[in-house]
Amino acid sequence: MQRQFLVSRTLIHLIVGAGAALMLLPLYWMVVSAFKPLPEILTVPVTFIPYNPTLENFRGLLTETLFARGMLNSIIIAMANVVLQVFFCSLAGFAFAKYRFWGRDVLFMLVLGTVMIPQYVTLIPNFLLMGRIGWLDTWLPLIVPGIANAFGIFWMRQYIATVPDELLDAARIDGAGEFGTYWRIVIPVIKPALVTLALFVFSVSWNEFLLPLVYLRSKELYTVQLVMANIFRVQYKVNYHWAMASAILATLPMAVLFATLQKQFISGLTLGGLKG
Amino acid sequence: MLGSKWPKIAPYVFISPFFVIFLVFGAFPIVFSGVVSLIDWKGVTMGEFVGLRNYLNLFRDSDFQRAVLNTLYLLVLSGPLTIGGGLVLAVLLNSQLLRLRGMFRTIFYLPMAVSLVVAGLAFSMLLNKPFGFVNDIILRQGLNLEPIDFLTNPLAAIPTLTLLILWRCIGNDLVIMLAGLQSISPELYEAARIDGASPFQTFVYVTLPLMVPIILFDAILSTVNTFNMFAEPYILFGTEGGVDQAGLTTGLLVYRTSFKYFKFGYGAAMAYLLGVVIFVLSLVQLRLGQRD
Repeated sequence: MQRQFLVSRTLIHLIVGAGAALMLLPLYWMVVSAFKPLPEILTVPVTFIPYNPTLENFRGLLTETLFARGMLNSIIIAMANVVLQVFFCSLAGFAFAKYRFWGRDVLFMLVLGTVMIPQYVTLIPNFLLMGRIGWLDTWLPLIVPGIANAFGIFWMRQYIATVPDELLDAARIDGAGEFGTYWRIVIPVIKPALVTLALFVFSVSWNEFLLPLVYLRSKELYTVQLVMANIFRVQYKVNYHWAMASAILATLPMAVLFATLQKQFISGLTLGGLKG
Repeated sequence: MLGSKWPKIAPYVFISPFFVIFLVFGAFPIVFSGVVSLIDWKGVTMGEFVGLRNYLNLFRDSDFQRAVLNTLYLLVLSGPLTIGGGLVLAVLLNSQLLRLRGMFRTIFYLPMAVSLVVAGLAFSMLLNKPFGFVNDIILRQGLNLEPIDFLTNPLAAIPTLTLLILWRCIGNDLVIMLAGLQSISPELYEAARIDGASPFQTFVYVTLPLMVPIILFDAILSTVNTFNMFAEPYILFGTEGGVDQAGLTTGLLVYRTSFKYFKFGYGAAMAYLLGVVIFVLSLVQLRLGQRD
Protein backbone atom coordinates (compact mmCIF):
# COMPACT_ATOMS: atom_id res chain seq x y z
CA MET A 1 0.00 0.00 0.00
CA GLN A 2 2.70 2.41 1.06
CA ARG A 3 4.73 1.48 -1.99
CA GLN A 4 1.83 1.92 -4.38
CA PHE A 5 1.24 5.34 -2.87
CA LEU A 6 4.84 6.29 -3.55
CA VAL A 7 4.65 5.07 -7.14
CA SER A 8 1.51 7.06 -7.97
CA ARG A 9 2.92 10.09 -6.23
CA THR A 10 6.10 9.95 -8.36
CA LEU A 11 4.08 9.30 -11.51
CA ILE A 12 1.85 12.34 -10.99
CA HIS A 13 4.84 14.58 -10.43
CA LEU A 14 6.53 13.23 -13.55
CA ILE A 15 3.48 13.78 -15.77
CA VAL A 16 2.59 17.23 -14.45
CA GLY A 17 6.24 18.25 -14.35
CA ALA A 18 6.80 17.23 -17.98
CA GLY A 19 3.65 19.10 -19.02
CA ALA A 20 4.79 22.21 -17.16
CA ALA A 21 8.22 22.02 -18.81
CA LEU A 22 6.55 21.89 -22.25
CA MET A 23 4.42 24.92 -21.33
CA LEU A 24 7.50 26.91 -20.35
CA LEU A 25 9.59 25.88 -23.37
CA PRO A 26 8.17 28.39 -25.92
CA LEU A 27 8.45 31.19 -23.35
CA TYR A 28 12.02 30.19 -22.54
CA TRP A 29 12.94 30.09 -26.21
CA MET A 30 11.36 33.50 -26.76
CA VAL A 31 13.29 35.09 -23.90
CA VAL A 32 16.60 33.46 -24.83
CA SER A 33 16.28 34.41 -28.50
CA ALA A 34 15.54 38.03 -27.65
CA PHE A 35 19.03 38.35 -26.18
CA LYS A 36 20.85 36.70 -29.10
CA PRO A 37 22.26 38.65 -32.06
CA LEU A 38 20.47 37.74 -35.30
CA PRO A 39 23.37 35.65 -36.72
CA GLU A 40 23.36 33.53 -33.58
CA ILE A 41 19.58 32.99 -33.85
CA LEU A 42 20.09 31.70 -37.40
CA THR A 43 22.90 29.32 -36.42
CA VAL A 44 22.68 25.53 -36.28
CA PRO A 45 23.25 23.80 -33.90
CA VAL A 46 21.31 26.18 -31.67
CA THR A 47 22.62 27.65 -28.41
CA PHE A 48 20.44 27.06 -25.36
CA ILE A 49 22.00 29.96 -23.51
CA PRO A 50 22.99 33.06 -25.52
CA TYR A 51 26.64 32.76 -26.50
CA ASN A 52 26.88 36.50 -27.05
CA PRO A 53 24.10 38.01 -24.90
CA THR A 54 23.14 41.47 -26.13
CA LEU A 55 20.57 44.23 -25.60
CA GLU A 56 21.04 45.37 -29.17
CA ASN A 57 17.72 43.78 -30.27
CA PHE A 58 15.79 45.95 -27.81
CA ARG A 59 17.71 49.07 -28.80
CA GLY A 60 17.09 48.42 -32.50
CA LEU A 61 13.45 47.63 -31.87
CA LEU A 62 12.84 50.89 -30.01
CA THR A 63 14.82 53.15 -32.36
CA GLU A 64 14.39 51.62 -35.82
CA THR A 65 10.77 50.46 -35.72
CA LEU A 66 7.38 51.90 -34.76
CA PHE A 67 7.17 49.53 -31.80
CA ALA A 68 7.23 52.21 -29.05
CA ARG A 69 4.52 54.11 -30.89
CA GLY A 70 2.45 50.93 -31.12
CA MET A 71 2.78 50.33 -27.38
CA LEU A 72 1.61 53.87 -26.67
CA ASN A 73 -1.30 53.56 -29.11
CA SER A 74 -2.39 50.27 -27.56
CA ILE A 75 -2.25 51.73 -24.06
CA ILE A 76 -4.40 54.70 -25.08
CA ILE A 77 -6.95 52.49 -26.85
CA ALA A 78 -7.07 50.00 -23.97
CA MET A 79 -7.51 52.76 -21.38
CA ALA A 80 -10.35 54.32 -23.39
CA ASN A 81 -12.02 50.91 -23.59
CA VAL A 82 -11.58 50.33 -19.86
CA VAL A 83 -13.01 53.70 -18.80
CA LEU A 84 -16.01 53.60 -21.15
CA GLN A 85 -16.92 49.94 -20.65
CA VAL A 86 -16.49 49.93 -16.87
CA PHE A 87 -18.63 53.07 -16.58
CA PHE A 88 -21.46 52.05 -18.91
CA CYS A 89 -21.53 48.39 -17.81
CA SER A 90 -21.73 49.24 -14.11
CA LEU A 91 -24.40 51.87 -14.78
CA ALA A 92 -26.53 49.39 -16.74
CA GLY A 93 -25.75 46.63 -14.25
CA PHE A 94 -26.98 48.93 -11.48
CA ALA A 95 -30.25 49.54 -13.32
CA PHE A 96 -30.83 45.82 -13.96
CA ALA A 97 -29.94 44.84 -10.38
CA LYS A 98 -31.64 47.54 -8.31
CA TYR A 99 -34.65 48.88 -10.25
CA ARG A 100 -38.00 47.33 -11.03
CA PHE A 101 -39.16 48.57 -14.39
CA TRP A 102 -41.45 47.42 -17.15
CA GLY A 103 -39.70 45.03 -19.56
CA ARG A 104 -36.66 44.58 -17.37
CA ASP A 105 -36.30 40.81 -17.63
CA VAL A 106 -36.94 40.70 -21.37
CA LEU A 107 -34.40 43.47 -21.94
CA PHE A 108 -31.84 41.64 -19.81
CA MET A 109 -32.34 38.42 -21.79
CA LEU A 110 -31.88 40.47 -24.95
CA VAL A 111 -28.57 41.77 -23.61
CA LEU A 112 -27.37 38.24 -22.84
CA GLY A 113 -28.54 36.95 -26.22
CA THR A 114 -26.24 39.34 -28.06
CA VAL A 115 -23.14 37.38 -27.00
CA MET A 116 -24.18 34.56 -29.34
CA ILE A 117 -23.61 36.65 -32.47
CA PRO A 118 -20.38 35.59 -34.22
CA GLN A 119 -17.96 38.42 -34.92
CA TYR A 120 -17.69 37.56 -38.62
CA VAL A 121 -21.35 38.20 -39.32
CA THR A 122 -21.05 41.85 -38.27
CA LEU A 123 -17.49 42.50 -39.48
CA ILE A 124 -18.19 43.23 -43.17
CA PRO A 125 -21.31 45.41 -42.76
CA ASN A 126 -19.56 47.28 -39.94
CA PHE A 127 -16.59 47.95 -42.22
CA LEU A 128 -18.91 49.40 -44.87
CA LEU A 129 -20.72 51.40 -42.19
CA MET A 130 -17.48 52.79 -40.76
CA GLY A 131 -16.45 53.80 -44.28
CA ARG A 132 -19.73 55.65 -44.75
CA ILE A 133 -19.41 57.63 -41.50
CA GLY A 134 -15.71 58.36 -42.03
CA TRP A 135 -14.35 56.23 -39.20
CA LEU A 136 -11.94 54.14 -41.29
CA ASP A 137 -8.32 54.59 -40.28
CA THR A 138 -9.31 55.98 -36.87
CA TRP A 139 -9.43 54.32 -33.45
CA LEU A 140 -13.18 54.85 -33.10
CA PRO A 141 -14.16 51.40 -34.51
CA LEU A 142 -11.86 49.85 -31.90
CA ILE A 143 -13.50 51.77 -29.05
CA VAL A 144 -17.13 52.77 -29.65
CA PRO A 145 -18.81 49.41 -30.55
CA GLY A 146 -17.17 47.85 -27.49
CA ILE A 147 -19.41 49.93 -25.22
CA ALA A 148 -22.17 47.37 -25.87
CA ASN A 149 -20.45 44.77 -23.66
CA ALA A 150 -23.07 42.22 -22.62
CA PHE A 151 -20.69 40.18 -20.51
CA GLY A 152 -19.69 43.32 -18.58
CA ILE A 153 -23.32 44.16 -17.82
CA PHE A 154 -23.99 40.59 -16.68
CA TRP A 155 -20.90 40.63 -14.49
CA MET A 156 -21.75 43.98 -12.88
CA ARG A 157 -25.39 43.05 -12.32
CA GLN A 158 -24.38 39.89 -10.45
CA TYR A 159 -22.12 41.88 -8.17
CA ILE A 160 -24.35 44.90 -7.60
CA ALA A 161 -27.24 42.58 -6.66
CA THR A 162 -25.29 41.74 -3.48
CA VAL A 163 -25.22 45.40 -2.37
CA PRO A 164 -27.79 45.79 0.49
CA ASP A 165 -30.90 47.80 -0.48
CA GLU A 166 -30.80 49.60 2.90
CA LEU A 167 -27.60 51.32 1.82
CA LEU A 168 -29.30 52.71 -1.28
CA ASP A 169 -32.48 53.69 0.63
CA ALA A 170 -30.39 55.54 3.21
CA ALA A 171 -28.65 57.47 0.44
CA ARG A 172 -31.99 58.42 -1.14
CA ILE A 173 -33.38 59.63 2.20
CA ASP A 174 -30.28 61.79 2.50
CA GLY A 175 -31.29 63.38 -0.77
CA ALA A 176 -28.96 61.67 -3.22
CA GLY A 177 -30.49 61.49 -6.71
CA GLU A 178 -30.60 58.39 -8.91
CA PHE A 179 -27.25 59.03 -10.50
CA GLY A 180 -25.82 60.29 -7.22
CA THR A 181 -26.76 57.01 -5.53
CA TYR A 182 -24.90 55.11 -8.26
CA TRP A 183 -21.89 57.39 -8.30
CA ARG A 184 -21.35 57.98 -4.57
CA ILE A 185 -22.75 54.81 -2.96
CA VAL A 186 -22.64 51.92 -5.46
CA ILE A 187 -19.31 52.65 -7.16
CA PRO A 188 -17.24 52.71 -3.94
CA VAL A 189 -18.63 49.38 -2.66
CA ILE A 190 -18.19 47.45 -5.91
CA LYS A 191 -14.54 48.35 -6.45
CA PRO A 192 -13.27 44.72 -6.58
CA ALA A 193 -15.73 43.88 -9.36
CA LEU A 194 -14.78 47.05 -11.23
CA VAL A 195 -11.09 46.08 -11.04
CA THR A 196 -11.82 42.61 -12.43
CA LEU A 197 -13.84 43.99 -15.31
CA ALA A 198 -11.19 46.62 -16.01
CA LEU A 199 -8.53 43.92 -16.18
CA PHE A 200 -10.65 41.80 -18.46
CA VAL A 201 -11.45 44.68 -20.83
CA PHE A 202 -7.80 45.73 -20.88
CA SER A 203 -6.58 42.26 -21.86
CA VAL A 204 -9.19 41.83 -24.60
CA SER A 205 -8.37 45.24 -26.05
CA TRP A 206 -4.60 44.71 -25.74
CA ASN A 207 -4.70 41.35 -27.54
CA GLU A 208 -7.22 42.24 -30.27
CA PHE A 209 -5.75 41.66 -33.73
CA LEU A 210 -8.42 41.31 -36.41
CA LEU A 211 -10.19 44.66 -35.82
CA PRO A 212 -7.11 46.90 -35.96
CA LEU A 213 -5.91 44.90 -38.99
CA VAL A 214 -9.16 45.62 -40.80
CA TYR A 215 -9.68 49.24 -39.76
CA LEU A 216 -6.23 50.84 -39.55
CA ARG A 217 -4.18 51.87 -42.58
CA SER A 218 -1.74 54.52 -41.28
CA LYS A 219 1.28 52.94 -39.64
CA GLU A 220 1.39 55.65 -36.95
CA LEU A 221 -2.03 54.49 -35.72
CA TYR A 222 -1.11 50.78 -35.51
CA THR A 223 -1.64 48.89 -32.27
CA VAL A 224 1.24 46.97 -30.75
CA GLN A 225 -0.08 43.63 -32.09
CA LEU A 226 -0.17 44.99 -35.64
CA VAL A 227 3.30 46.48 -35.34
CA MET A 228 4.60 43.11 -34.12
CA ALA A 229 3.02 41.16 -36.96
CA ASN A 230 4.52 43.69 -39.39
CA ILE A 231 7.99 43.56 -37.87
CA PHE A 232 7.92 39.79 -38.14
CA ARG A 233 7.26 39.70 -41.86
CA VAL A 234 8.76 42.65 -43.64
CA GLN A 235 8.65 41.50 -47.24
CA TYR A 236 10.93 38.51 -47.80
CA LYS A 237 12.89 39.29 -44.65
CA VAL A 238 12.08 37.78 -41.31
CA ASN A 239 13.22 39.84 -38.34
CA TYR A 240 13.39 37.16 -35.68
CA HIS A 241 15.59 39.20 -33.34
CA TRP A 242 13.21 42.17 -33.23
CA ALA A 243 10.15 39.95 -33.21
CA MET A 244 11.29 38.13 -30.07
CA ALA A 245 12.29 41.35 -28.30
CA SER A 246 8.93 42.89 -29.17
CA ALA A 247 7.10 39.77 -27.97
CA ILE A 248 8.66 40.18 -24.54
CA LEU A 249 7.99 43.92 -24.23
CA ALA A 250 4.41 43.55 -25.51
CA THR A 251 3.69 40.83 -22.97
CA LEU A 252 5.09 42.85 -20.07
CA PRO A 253 1.98 44.96 -19.30
CA MET A 254 -0.24 41.84 -19.33
CA ALA A 255 2.26 39.85 -17.26
CA VAL A 256 2.44 42.56 -14.59
CA LEU A 257 -1.36 42.85 -14.37
CA PHE A 258 -1.74 39.07 -14.45
CA ALA A 259 0.82 38.53 -11.68
CA THR A 260 -0.63 41.13 -9.33
CA LEU A 261 -4.27 40.26 -9.85
CA GLN A 262 -4.17 36.56 -10.80
CA LYS A 263 -7.07 35.47 -8.58
CA GLN A 264 -9.51 38.02 -9.96
CA PHE A 265 -8.33 37.37 -13.49
CA ILE A 266 -9.01 33.63 -13.28
CA SER A 267 -12.49 34.04 -11.81
CA GLY A 268 -13.16 36.59 -14.51
CA LEU A 269 -11.95 34.14 -17.16
CA THR A 270 -14.23 31.40 -15.88
CA LEU A 271 -17.19 33.70 -16.27
CA GLY A 272 -15.79 34.98 -19.54
CA GLY A 273 -15.70 31.39 -20.74
CA LEU A 274 -19.29 30.94 -19.71
CA LYS A 275 -20.34 33.75 -22.00
CA GLY A 276 -19.79 31.36 -24.93
CA MET B 1 -42.30 67.88 -14.12
CA LEU B 2 -39.36 65.65 -15.00
CA GLY B 3 -38.31 65.72 -11.35
CA SER B 4 -41.14 63.50 -10.13
CA LYS B 5 -40.89 61.10 -13.07
CA TRP B 6 -37.11 60.82 -13.08
CA PRO B 7 -36.85 57.78 -10.74
CA LYS B 8 -39.09 55.86 -13.17
CA ILE B 9 -37.19 56.93 -16.28
CA ALA B 10 -33.70 56.63 -14.78
CA PRO B 11 -33.21 52.85 -15.29
CA TYR B 12 -34.14 53.17 -18.97
CA VAL B 13 -31.63 55.97 -19.37
CA PHE B 14 -28.97 53.92 -17.56
CA ILE B 15 -29.35 50.92 -19.87
CA SER B 16 -29.90 52.94 -23.06
CA PRO B 17 -26.20 53.29 -24.07
CA PHE B 18 -25.97 49.52 -24.54
CA PHE B 19 -29.04 49.39 -26.74
CA VAL B 20 -28.15 52.44 -28.82
CA ILE B 21 -24.65 51.10 -29.54
CA PHE B 22 -25.94 47.58 -30.13
CA LEU B 23 -28.61 48.75 -32.56
CA VAL B 24 -26.07 50.67 -34.64
CA PHE B 25 -23.09 48.26 -34.55
CA GLY B 26 -24.82 44.92 -33.84
CA ALA B 27 -28.44 44.61 -34.90
CA PHE B 28 -28.29 46.82 -37.99
CA PRO B 29 -25.14 45.09 -39.36
CA ILE B 30 -26.76 41.67 -38.99
CA VAL B 31 -29.69 42.71 -41.16
CA PHE B 32 -27.47 44.75 -43.47
CA SER B 33 -25.12 41.78 -43.87
CA GLY B 34 -28.01 39.75 -45.28
CA VAL B 35 -28.59 42.48 -47.87
CA VAL B 36 -24.86 42.78 -48.64
CA SER B 37 -24.66 39.05 -49.30
CA LEU B 38 -27.26 39.32 -52.06
CA ILE B 39 -25.29 41.92 -53.97
CA ASP B 40 -22.26 41.69 -56.22
CA TRP B 41 -20.12 44.44 -54.66
CA LYS B 42 -17.52 46.28 -56.70
CA GLY B 43 -15.15 47.44 -53.99
CA VAL B 44 -17.05 49.60 -51.54
CA THR B 45 -19.63 50.69 -54.11
CA MET B 46 -22.79 48.69 -54.53
CA GLY B 47 -23.02 46.48 -57.59
CA GLU B 48 -26.00 44.66 -59.01
CA PHE B 49 -28.46 42.53 -57.10
CA VAL B 50 -27.62 38.86 -57.67
CA GLY B 51 -30.03 37.07 -55.37
CA LEU B 52 -28.67 33.87 -53.90
CA ARG B 53 -25.87 33.53 -56.45
CA ASN B 54 -23.17 34.29 -53.87
CA TYR B 55 -24.45 31.45 -51.71
CA LEU B 56 -24.71 29.01 -54.63
CA ASN B 57 -21.18 29.86 -55.74
CA LEU B 58 -19.89 28.91 -52.30
CA PHE B 59 -20.76 25.29 -52.90
CA ARG B 60 -18.68 25.19 -56.09
CA ASP B 61 -15.76 27.15 -54.60
CA SER B 62 -12.81 24.83 -53.99
CA ASP B 63 -11.11 27.36 -51.66
CA PHE B 64 -14.20 27.43 -49.48
CA GLN B 65 -14.38 23.65 -49.37
CA ARG B 66 -10.68 23.52 -48.55
CA ALA B 67 -11.10 26.03 -45.70
CA VAL B 68 -14.09 24.19 -44.23
CA LEU B 69 -12.32 20.80 -44.42
CA ASN B 70 -9.14 22.25 -42.89
CA THR B 71 -11.14 23.81 -40.08
CA LEU B 72 -13.06 20.58 -39.41
CA TYR B 73 -9.77 18.65 -39.41
CA LEU B 74 -8.34 21.18 -36.95
CA LEU B 75 -11.42 20.87 -34.77
CA VAL B 76 -11.27 17.06 -34.73
CA LEU B 77 -7.59 17.14 -33.86
CA SER B 78 -7.42 20.01 -31.36
CA GLY B 79 -10.84 19.62 -29.70
CA PRO B 80 -10.27 16.24 -28.00
CA LEU B 81 -6.68 17.19 -27.12
CA THR B 82 -7.54 20.46 -25.40
CA ILE B 83 -10.73 19.21 -23.76
CA GLY B 84 -9.41 15.77 -22.76
CA GLY B 85 -6.03 17.21 -21.84
CA GLY B 86 -7.68 19.94 -19.80
CA LEU B 87 -9.81 17.42 -17.92
CA VAL B 88 -6.96 15.00 -17.15
CA LEU B 89 -4.75 17.90 -16.13
CA ALA B 90 -7.47 19.29 -13.86
CA VAL B 91 -7.86 15.92 -12.13
CA LEU B 92 -4.09 15.64 -11.65
CA LEU B 93 -3.78 19.22 -10.40
CA ASN B 94 -6.61 18.57 -7.96
CA SER B 95 -4.92 15.47 -6.54
CA GLN B 96 -3.80 15.59 -2.92
CA LEU B 97 -0.69 13.68 -3.97
CA LEU B 98 0.67 16.63 -5.91
CA ARG B 99 2.98 19.16 -4.25
CA LEU B 100 3.34 22.77 -5.44
CA ARG B 101 -0.13 22.73 -6.93
CA GLY B 102 -0.38 26.53 -7.03
CA MET B 103 2.88 26.83 -8.92
CA PHE B 104 1.91 24.22 -11.51
CA ARG B 105 -1.48 25.83 -12.02
CA THR B 106 0.16 29.20 -12.65
CA ILE B 107 2.53 27.65 -15.20
CA PHE B 108 -0.37 26.18 -17.17
CA TYR B 109 -2.23 29.51 -17.07
CA LEU B 110 0.85 31.46 -18.15
CA PRO B 111 0.44 31.22 -21.96
CA MET B 112 -2.98 32.87 -21.67
CA ALA B 113 -1.25 36.09 -20.64
CA VAL B 114 0.50 36.06 -24.01
CA SER B 115 -1.28 37.55 -27.02
CA LEU B 116 -2.13 35.36 -30.03
CA VAL B 117 0.34 37.27 -32.15
CA VAL B 118 3.12 36.67 -29.62
CA ALA B 119 2.17 32.98 -29.42
CA GLY B 120 2.36 32.75 -33.21
CA LEU B 121 5.77 34.43 -33.26
CA ALA B 122 7.11 32.17 -30.50
CA PHE B 123 5.98 29.04 -32.35
CA SER B 124 7.36 30.09 -35.71
CA MET B 125 10.72 30.44 -33.93
CA LEU B 126 10.46 27.24 -31.93
CA LEU B 127 9.37 25.08 -34.87
CA ASN B 128 11.52 26.67 -37.54
CA LYS B 129 13.52 24.53 -39.93
CA PRO B 130 16.45 24.30 -39.51
CA PHE B 131 17.27 26.63 -36.60
CA GLY B 132 14.27 26.06 -34.31
CA PHE B 133 14.63 24.39 -30.94
CA VAL B 134 12.53 21.33 -31.80
CA ASN B 135 14.35 20.48 -35.03
CA ASP B 136 17.67 20.93 -33.27
CA ILE B 137 16.64 18.28 -30.74
CA ILE B 138 15.52 15.98 -33.57
CA LEU B 139 18.88 16.38 -35.32
CA ARG B 140 20.84 15.75 -32.14
CA GLN B 141 19.07 12.44 -31.56
CA GLY B 142 21.72 10.64 -33.55
CA LEU B 143 18.97 8.50 -35.04
CA ASN B 144 19.36 10.01 -38.51
CA LEU B 145 15.89 11.55 -38.29
CA GLU B 146 14.93 14.16 -40.86
CA PRO B 147 14.10 17.64 -39.53
CA ILE B 148 10.36 18.32 -39.62
CA ASP B 149 9.08 21.09 -41.83
CA PHE B 150 6.39 22.29 -39.45
CA LEU B 151 5.63 25.54 -41.22
CA THR B 152 5.85 24.83 -44.95
CA ASN B 153 5.02 21.17 -45.37
CA PRO B 154 1.29 21.01 -46.25
CA LEU B 155 0.84 17.83 -44.21
CA ALA B 156 2.18 19.52 -41.08
CA ALA B 157 0.10 22.72 -41.23
CA ILE B 158 -2.93 21.66 -39.20
CA PRO B 159 -0.95 19.61 -36.64
CA THR B 160 1.33 22.64 -36.13
CA LEU B 161 -1.71 24.85 -35.59
CA THR B 162 -2.98 22.24 -33.11
CA LEU B 163 0.25 22.43 -31.12
CA LEU B 164 -0.06 26.20 -30.91
CA ILE B 165 -3.70 26.03 -29.79
CA LEU B 166 -2.93 23.32 -27.27
CA TRP B 167 -0.21 25.45 -25.73
CA ARG B 168 -2.08 28.76 -25.74
CA CYS B 169 -5.55 27.53 -24.76
CA ILE B 170 -5.21 24.55 -22.44
CA GLY B 171 -5.15 26.96 -19.49
CA ASN B 172 -8.63 28.09 -20.44
CA ASP B 173 -9.92 24.49 -20.56
CA LEU B 174 -8.18 23.90 -17.26
CA VAL B 175 -10.01 26.83 -15.61
CA ILE B 176 -13.35 25.49 -16.84
CA MET B 177 -12.60 21.89 -15.78
CA LEU B 178 -11.32 22.90 -12.34
CA ALA B 179 -14.49 24.91 -11.77
CA GLY B 180 -16.49 21.82 -12.80
CA LEU B 181 -14.56 19.47 -10.52
CA GLN B 182 -15.21 21.75 -7.56
CA SER B 183 -18.93 21.24 -7.97
CA ILE B 184 -18.62 17.43 -7.49
CA SER B 185 -19.47 16.45 -3.92
CA PRO B 186 -16.49 15.00 -1.95
CA GLU B 187 -18.83 12.35 -0.43
CA LEU B 188 -19.03 10.60 -3.81
CA TYR B 189 -15.26 10.18 -3.86
CA GLU B 190 -15.35 9.00 -0.27
CA ALA B 191 -17.98 6.40 -1.19
CA ALA B 192 -15.91 5.22 -4.17
CA ARG B 193 -12.86 4.90 -1.93
CA ILE B 194 -14.75 2.84 0.64
CA ASP B 195 -16.01 0.57 -2.16
CA GLY B 196 -12.37 -0.02 -3.06
CA ALA B 197 -12.41 1.71 -6.47
CA SER B 198 -9.02 2.39 -8.06
CA PRO B 199 -8.19 5.99 -9.06
CA PHE B 200 -8.83 5.04 -12.69
CA GLN B 201 -12.23 3.49 -11.88
CA THR B 202 -13.12 6.54 -9.81
CA PHE B 203 -12.30 8.75 -12.79
CA VAL B 204 -14.34 6.68 -15.26
CA TYR B 205 -17.38 5.98 -13.09
CA VAL B 206 -17.61 9.05 -10.84
CA THR B 207 -15.80 12.03 -12.36
CA LEU B 208 -16.50 11.51 -16.06
CA PRO B 209 -20.31 11.11 -15.94
CA LEU B 210 -20.69 14.14 -13.68
CA MET B 211 -18.47 16.24 -15.94
CA VAL B 212 -20.47 15.59 -19.13
CA PRO B 213 -22.29 18.97 -19.09
CA ILE B 214 -19.00 20.82 -18.55
CA ILE B 215 -17.28 18.84 -21.30
CA LEU B 216 -20.11 19.68 -23.71
CA PHE B 217 -19.96 23.34 -22.78
CA ASP B 218 -16.23 23.29 -23.46
CA ALA B 219 -16.78 21.47 -26.76
CA ILE B 220 -19.20 24.17 -27.95
CA LEU B 221 -16.72 26.83 -26.95
CA SER B 222 -13.93 25.06 -28.87
CA THR B 223 -16.10 24.67 -31.96
CA VAL B 224 -17.05 28.35 -32.04
CA ASN B 225 -13.48 29.45 -31.35
CA THR B 226 -12.05 27.20 -34.06
CA PHE B 227 -14.41 28.52 -36.73
CA ASN B 228 -13.68 32.10 -35.62
CA MET B 229 -9.92 31.61 -35.39
CA PHE B 230 -7.88 34.16 -37.27
CA ALA B 231 -4.66 35.48 -35.72
CA GLU B 232 -2.98 32.08 -35.26
CA PRO B 233 -3.08 30.86 -38.89
CA TYR B 234 -2.46 34.42 -40.11
CA ILE B 235 0.83 34.69 -38.23
CA LEU B 236 1.99 31.11 -38.91
CA PHE B 237 1.00 30.82 -42.56
CA GLY B 238 0.08 34.29 -43.88
CA THR B 239 -3.13 35.45 -45.59
CA GLU B 240 -3.05 32.71 -48.24
CA GLY B 241 -2.88 29.93 -45.66
CA GLY B 242 0.64 28.79 -46.52
CA VAL B 243 1.88 26.23 -49.05
CA ASP B 244 -0.99 24.56 -50.92
CA GLN B 245 -3.42 26.50 -48.65
CA ALA B 246 -2.89 23.77 -46.08
CA GLY B 247 -3.33 26.24 -43.23
CA LEU B 248 -6.32 28.05 -44.74
CA THR B 249 -9.10 28.19 -42.14
CA THR B 250 -12.57 29.66 -42.47
CA GLY B 251 -11.64 32.78 -40.50
CA LEU B 252 -8.68 33.42 -42.78
CA LEU B 253 -10.80 32.90 -45.91
CA VAL B 254 -13.53 35.34 -44.80
CA TYR B 255 -10.83 37.93 -44.12
CA ARG B 256 -9.01 37.31 -47.40
CA THR B 257 -12.16 37.38 -49.52
CA SER B 258 -13.47 40.59 -47.97
CA PHE B 259 -10.46 42.69 -47.08
CA LYS B 260 -7.83 41.59 -49.55
CA TYR B 261 -9.94 40.92 -52.66
CA PHE B 262 -12.74 43.29 -51.52
CA LYS B 263 -15.48 40.86 -52.53
CA PHE B 264 -17.78 42.06 -49.77
CA GLY B 265 -20.94 40.37 -51.01
CA TYR B 266 -19.25 37.01 -51.35
CA GLY B 267 -17.49 37.44 -47.99
CA ALA B 268 -20.76 38.35 -46.28
CA ALA B 269 -22.47 35.27 -47.75
CA MET B 270 -19.59 33.15 -46.46
CA ALA B 271 -19.78 34.70 -42.99
CA TYR B 272 -23.55 34.25 -42.88
CA LEU B 273 -23.38 30.59 -43.87
CA LEU B 274 -20.60 29.93 -41.35
CA GLY B 275 -22.58 31.75 -38.66
CA VAL B 276 -25.49 29.38 -39.31
CA VAL B 277 -23.16 26.34 -39.28
CA ILE B 278 -21.65 27.39 -35.94
CA PHE B 279 -25.10 27.97 -34.49
CA VAL B 280 -26.40 24.57 -35.67
CA LEU B 281 -23.28 22.75 -34.42
CA SER B 282 -23.74 24.36 -31.01
CA LEU B 283 -27.39 23.29 -30.93
CA VAL B 284 -26.52 19.70 -31.92
CA GLN B 285 -23.93 19.50 -29.14
CA LEU B 286 -26.44 20.86 -26.65
CA ARG B 287 -29.04 18.28 -27.76
CA LEU B 288 -26.57 15.41 -27.43
CA GLY B 289 -25.87 16.57 -23.91
CA GLN B 290 -29.53 16.65 -22.91
CA ARG B 291 -30.18 13.09 -24.02
CA ASP B 292 -28.68 11.65 -20.82
